[in-house]
Parts: sequence; C-alpha cells; structure tokens
Amino acid sequence: MSINPRPEDFSAYWQAVDDELAGIDPAVELEHSPLRSNEYSTMYFARLTSIGPYRIFAYLSIPHGDGPFPALLQTPRYGSVNNPPHFDDRQRYVVMTLMHRGQRLADKPYAAAYPGLLTEGIEDPATFIYRGIVADCLRGAEYLLSRPEVQGQPAAVVGDDLAVLTAARRSRFTAVHYNLFTFYRMMEAAPRTAAYPLEEINEYIAFHPDVVDRVARTVAYVDPLHHASEVRGKVLVNVGDPGSLSGLEFLEPLMQAFGGNAEPYVVSHEGGTDHDAADAWIASQLGSVPKPRLWLEAMG
Amino acid sequence: MAADHVTSVRKPDDFDAFWDDLLAQAAEIPLNPTLDPIPLRSNDQVETFEIHYDSLDGVRIAGWYCRPRESYIPPPYPALLQVPGYISEPTLPKSWAKLGYAAVGVAPRGKLRSNAQFNPGYPGLLTHNIVDKETYSYRAFFIDACRAVDFVQSRPEVDASRIGVQGGSQGGALTLTTAALRNDAITCGAAGAPYLTGFMDAASLTHSQPYEEMNEYLRLYPEREEQVRRTLDYFDCINFASRITAPMLVTVGLGDDVCPPETAFDLVRAMSGPVEMVTSPRCGHDAGIYWTQSRIESFLAEHLRPAGIEAGR
Repeated sequence: MSINPRPEDFSAYWQAVDDELAGIDPAVELEHSPLRSNEYSTMYFARLTSIGPYRIFAYLSIPHGDGPFPALLQTPRYGSVNNPPHFDDRQRYVVMTLMHRGQRLADKPYAAAYPGLLTEGIEDPATFIYRGIVADCLRGAEYLLSRPEVQGQPAAVVGDDLAVLTAARRSRFTAVHYNLFTFYRMMEAAPRTAAYPLEEINEYIAFHPDVVDRVARTVAYVDPLHHASEVRGKVLVNVGDPGSLSGLEFLEPLMQAFGGNAEPYVVSHEGGTDHDAADAWIASQLGSVPKPRLWLEAMG
Repeated sequence: MAADHVTSVRKPDDFDAFWDDLLAQAAEIPLNPTLDPIPLRSNDQVETFEIHYDSLDGVRIAGWYCRPRESYIPPPYPALLQVPGYISEPTLPKSWAKLGYAAVGVAPRGKLRSNAQFNPGYPGLLTHNIVDKETYSYRAFFIDACRAVDFVQSRPEVDASRIGVQGGSQGGALTLTTAALRNDAITCGAAGAPYLTGFMDAASLTHSQPYEEMNEYLRLYPEREEQVRRTLDYFDCINFASRITAPMLVTVGLGDDVCPPETAFDLVRAMSGPVEMVTSPRCGHDAGIYWTQSRIESFLAEHLRPAGIEAGR
C-alpha cells in the first residue's frame, strides 16, 4: 500500500476549523484547586469552549514566583483519563494538561468509548470526531500561550499525533516531543498490528469493507505526515526497533517532511532511561534544568 | 538499596476476618451474568462479548469476554482474568483468546461502563473515603475483580481448574488481591509493577501520580494521617501476600517512580507461596515489559496450558 495522499482540500478543511474556533468565545473559567496545589505551584481547573460548541477541561498549573516561565502543553492520550501535570514539571513550567471532548472531566454530554473513539464518524471528514478533538487541542494551546506568565518564553508541546497537529497549526511552539504514533500512515500501519487502538481500524474495515476508501480519505486529514512541514519548532521523535511501526525506515517520510527540524530519539525500552532522556531534551529546549527520575535507583 | 527497605505496613488483627466477612457477603449476591455479542470486535478465530454481573452494593460490573471459536480451538479453555491499571481502560483481550484462553477484561466499579452508580474519578479513586475501611473505594473494587472468578466459573466452556490472573500497576495489585481472596480458585498470577503495596511508604518515596493523590490529601488534612494509615492497612497487598498460595510472577522496574521498587521487595518478602521476582534495571513503571512480556506469557502458559500455544498458534 502506498502513502495515503494529502487531500486536495486539506488546507481549506483545517482553515475552516480555525475559523470556527475564532468565532467562538472560549469563555474561560478558572477554578483554584487547593487540593491539587502544592508548595511550588498553584493548580487551576480550566473550562473552555471549543467548536460545537463543546466545553472542554484542562489542568493548568502555574509555578509560584514572579516568572515568566516556559510553557508546556500535554496533549490528551488515547484513553478516558489524563493524569494531572507531574510535580517535577510543575516546578519548572506553566503546564496545561488537556482533556478533549469525551474524556473524563469533559465527558458531558458526550462520553467517548474505548474502544470506539478512533472510528467515530470516520466515514466523513466533516463528522470525524478528531476534527473536534484537534480543535480542542488548539483551543487549549491558544489559552496557554495567551497566559501572561509565559509571554516571551519558549513553549513546548508533548504527546502523540495531536502534539504535532497542534504545533503545526500554532507556530508559537518552539519544541515538540512526538512520542507515540496512531494516525501516522495509519492505513499502512493498521494491517501490521493487532494491538489497540489501531485494531479498531482493522475491525471497522473488516466489518464495513465497502467504506475503506472513505476511511482512508478521512484519516489523511489527521496524518502527521501532512502537517509536519508546518511545524516551526524543533521536534524530538521517538524511534523504535527496526522493522516496527516506529522504526526509522517507516518514519523516514515523516522525518523528511519535518524538513530538518526533527531529530530521532532511539528508545532504549528502559522506561526510566527514556523518560529522563525526554525530560532532559524538553528542559534544554525550554531553558530549564533536567529532573531525572532514576534517582530512586541511583539511591541504591 | 531498594531491596533492603523495611516496610511500615502493619497487619490488623482482624484483617482476615474483615475480608472473609466481605467475601461471604458477596457470595450471597446472585451473579446474574449477561453476555452480549459484539460482532464488530469478533473474527474467524475469536468471539467477543460485553459482559455484566452483579457485585456488592447492587453495582453492575462490566467487562469484555473473548473466547476462541469452537471451530478454531475446541473447549474447554483455561480462563485468564486481565485486571486494569489505575487510569487504563480495561483490556479487550482478543489476542489472549487467540492463544486459547477464555479471557476477561474486568472493569471494576468506577471504570467506564461500570461507573453509573460509583464514579470517584481519576484522580479520586485512591483517596475516596480513605478515612474509613468500611466505605473506602477499594473495599468493593477488590470484590468486583473477585467476582470475575465467579463469572468464568459459570461458563461451561471454561475449565475451572485452570484460572489465571494478570495485570500491571493497579492490575498488578488486583492480581495479588484476587489470588489472595480467591486462593480456592486461582491457578497462577502475574503481577507487574504492583501498586497499592506499601501505600504510605510509596507516597513518601514519590511525587508521581497516583500516589501523589495521597500526598495532596495529607497536605490538606495532615491530622488524618494515622486514620488513613489504619484504613490502608486493610487494603495493602503486603497484607494479602500470605494468603496467596498459587505460583506468582512479579516483575519490577528498579527505576519505577510510580510504584517504588522498595515496596515490591517488601511484598515479595511477605509472600509465603511460590514466587518468582524479575527486576529490570533502569526501567520505570514499564517494569521491563519489553523483555519480560515473553516470560509472562510463558509463565501463564506453563500453568494454564492453553491449546493455542500448545498447538503453536
């Protein structure tokens, strides 16, 4: 199977999303959380309006002190829950962790199903749930980047494909850590695995074989490959074993599309090692200091 | 050294009585199991069902049930319970069924599809009613996982003499508690990066979620620390350890900032049944899964003997 081409109306599709967002008042509500605040930072629960309109949720942690501080956006994972920002990050950055529509804390009136979310509305780009989910990420990014505490400071976004799409459409981000692939070359990747969430695509196509072309067209809009050239910041890309769906040879078109902004990080599969490497890279991009977590082991 | 850590967990005198009483209460509740086929997530080899059953407090518990098609592998099948992590979605265990297991992905109360009557959220579950053992979240949550044993025992295609349980993090904890509370039924268990083990020690060793929930709670309510400790002693895997009789595999990352390895060493020392502990240097909450996955699969297969693996599928 060849690479799923970029749809002809790709730019217009995403411009329409931006236009919709621009026409909606985010109507931000900030609620201070004494329970989740600590000696280094204050936690707020943020509620914002995205397209739909739909109210989404974000944790927003702001370090104590005068600032300014670098900004860190954590895009939502594939699952119903995102952890609040980590204690270590909250000491160094203004951190936002976003809940997109359907995830817990943003699950009324719509609650996402797992499995199920990945194929919701997938036969038509206009109804595909990820059109709204990407908009939710952009809304969160806009608010984070508008905060007075981060003005003039570098900004990073961390996550899966949503991090790349967010950075592509909001050029203020100076660094991206792209750590997990779902939509990248999805129509080629799905048949090579039985693991969820890509297995959702296999199931859907096996059950509805007549719509495979429509599914392929829809997911092309969210393929990071077609967004990568718009990313202005530095990009760290997690690279897995040769021959795997995150192997360098499979990622080669993506690395080219980033146009020299991207560097590969070959994962060691040692979770402690890989976490600390990513943390150090983000810290270097944001002008901060690394906070390695292998200290527990180092104590031994 | 993590291996030299000394636990602060104390076992209440009435620990076993507390849980035996709760098991007896649960045994009085009819299971009322239902299975709804899901053709979308089934294939030529595996049938997938959404299941429900009743548990404590009238709460209906959901799960996924995947079994081999008879044309692919004829019954009877060993059962494998897949128990979920704290923020993870319950596993849809199709790949395990393909190996010959009748596999259940359990969704204890509060998880999606089991949260209509109880939904403390994440964060939230860990500290929900943490000052009272009679209403603490994990009291019924542990029983919900045990009731999955009853579910597989109710299935005619399952060989009830071969029931395994497996999971990581909170799933590791549920593996241990289920093996302890249903030691009459569990054949073996594989627990990765066990959570809910040495709660108070763990919270003092890390600022990572979910234990950070406890730090946050105790920052706001410092006067309740002793009350919290007294509650948690009833729910600590270290105190369940001596009830486990089935062979267990425990995998641990020595750089785990989520569930500190100190607590896993304390756990294994408290286990009196057969246990194999595999530690992975420089690994975190992944517990070295990249290297240990094949060991987990072979451990389960050795004890549960699924026909798919024995036939080389």
